[in-house]
Amino acid sequence: MSGIYVYSDRLEIAAELIGFAKSGGQAAYALCFSQAEADQLASRGADKVIYLKGDSPLPENYGKALADYLKEQDAELLVVGATARGRDMAARVAGYLDCGMVSDVAALDYSNGQLNTERIIYGGAVVQSETISGFCVVTVAGGKFSPVSGQAEIKTVAVQADPRVTLVETAPITKEGVDLKQAASVVCVGLGLEKEADLKMARDLADVLNAELGCTRGISEERHWLPVEQYIGISGAVIKPQLYISMGVSGQIQHIFGVRDAQFIVAIDSNEKAPIFKFADYGIVGDMYEIIPLLTETLKA
Amino acid sequence: MSKIIACYKWVADEADIRINPDQSVDITKAKGKISDYDKNAIEAAVEAAGKLGGQAVTLTFGNAGAKPSIKDALSRGPEEAYWVKAAEADQADGAVTARALAAAIQKIGDSSLVICAEGASDTYARQIAPRIGAILNLPVISSVIIMTFEGNSLVATRKLEDSLETVKVELPAVVAVLPEANNPPLPGLKAVMAAGKKPLTEYSAADLGIDFKPRNQVVAVKGYVMNRKNIIFDAGDSVSRVKELAAALRKEGVL
Ligand SMILES: Cc1cc2nc3c(=O)[nH]c(=O)nc-3n(C[C@H](O)[C@H](O)[C@H](O)COP(=O)(O)OP(=O)(O)OC[C@H]3O[C@@H](n4cnc5c(N)ncnc54)[C@H](O)[C@@H]3O)c2cc1C
Repeated sequence: MSGIYVYSDRLEIAAELIGFAKSGGQAAYALCFSQAEADQLASRGADKVIYLKGDSPLPENYGKALADYLKEQDAELLVVGATARGRDMAARVAGYLDCGMVSDVAALDYSNGQLNTERIIYGGAVVQSETISGFCVVTVAGGKFSPVSGQAEIKTVAVQADPRVTLVETAPITKEGVDLKQAASVVCVGLGLEKEADLKMARDLADVLNAELGCTRGISEERHWLPVEQYIGISGAVIKPQLYISMGVSGQIQHIFGVRDAQFIVAIDSNEKAPIFKFADYGIVGDMYEIIPLLTETLKA
Repeated sequence: MSKIIACYKWVADEADIRINPDQSVDITKAKGKISDYDKNAIEAAVEAAGKLGGQAVTLTFGNAGAKPSIKDALSRGPEEAYWVKAAEADQADGAVTARALAAAIQKIGDSSLVICAEGASDTYARQIAPRIGAILNLPVISSVIIMTFEGNSLVATRKLEDSLETVKVELPAVVAVLPEANNPPLPGLKAVMAAGKKPLTEYSAADLGIDFKPRNQVVAVKGYVMNRKNIIFDAGDSVSRVKELAAALRKEGVL
């Protein structure tokens, strides 16, 4: 069955990818590795749900089986949701089939057997456009396409799972941080903050603005002053508040990637040459230990 | 002795990239560096060699400009360096890079573990470890934050979006580590001096018989530009600057 094959370990993303495949008028085949996933996918508008059935609980162990299956079916394109598992599986399939792959695309278009993509490189500084013809693999994050609905038949195919990696245990991660993605305003602290106790200064400003507190990577990953969910950037949260105010953030491209869609960017930094000012709508060059308490007081009034 | 191979990429430092007004990209003034996360891969290999036994070595695929990377990589603890030196590295996509590294890994011979970072700081495509595993038919574990060894087995903890997953594999295997896996120390002066004396093996494309044909075709590279107001309040003292800022925000209706 030639057509577009889609996979995600997240049901919602899988449904969106089916929506993408259908939008171009192609046949959409949804792949999965358990009966439970197959049952859920069956109402998501695919032309068929394909359940590759083996005896491993780890989707990654079906990389080879999936590659062989896609080849046998003469698949045109494999679209995979860009999660940790999805990226891994997608690259394995590409490796087994020695085919092209574009990771984490910002935009994609598939027509006349050609895939056109755009993706971010150099931490967000550069956008690269690529094309591939012939069978290829692409990964894309959730939230880019609209899901569709409709009943699909489930086809079960018995396959051999790779037995070499075995599951020992799995434990949920408890998230301690707030969800910055929904925040209307965000106050962001960077490594210019001298000590943990000074977070109070940022919190006071956040309180008068009714804002959430965010940070740069070093504040959470190195200094462990805030939970990892609270750091903003290409490897952290990508946010779109109305207002983002930074203090002691130099504005490296990887961080800026996370605030591009902020409506207004305000920067307070002591270094007038800090890149953050190029990305800011409004800025004050100065010591945040002086400026921020003043700003908090002014806004209170 | 069995080798533990850390793969790394020599990349242009993104902080030095200039975007011209016409959105064209100038990387000619960019300094090279070992991709940030690959320092975690090198450190992971050194730590693994300490626990598992064997010899930590580094492997890179790069053009002649990657020369300074060798000493830098070796100063981080590995005992030997391997370099697939080819101008084609500049145009390489994931398929080509994985083929080149896999061919070198085969040539190096007896290895118990291949360690990559999840992705390079320029492209961050996160393809290489799984692709190498597929090419060499080795098991792969990605998104790894903890590695422990039991005899000849690796027990690895993976960090997924909302769970920690512990898996086990008999070596040899390919691993991709996340930056949380370790904290690479800055190399000391002694380590830097010693690095110059460690052996380097260079492979040419001919030595390895690599197919350099990329699958992906790059059709455009454009700088990302963001249009912002860039208004700096610099008149008067701090109090008046802050007042102006507050007034501007009020006017924008974001307070
Ligand atoms: C592959 C990769 C991915 C990355 N992903 C991310 C990411 O997702 N998110 C992220 O944040 N980073 C990320 N980084 C790191 C990023 O490159 C920067 O290193 C980081 O964002 C810098 O954080 P910072 O601005 O807090 O610190 P610094 O760059 O150290 O800046 C501190 C700033 O504070 C100012 N300052 C100091 N004292 C004061 C004072 N008293 N008053 C006012 N200003 C003061 C200084 O002038 C300086 O501008 C990534 C890096 C790589 C290589």
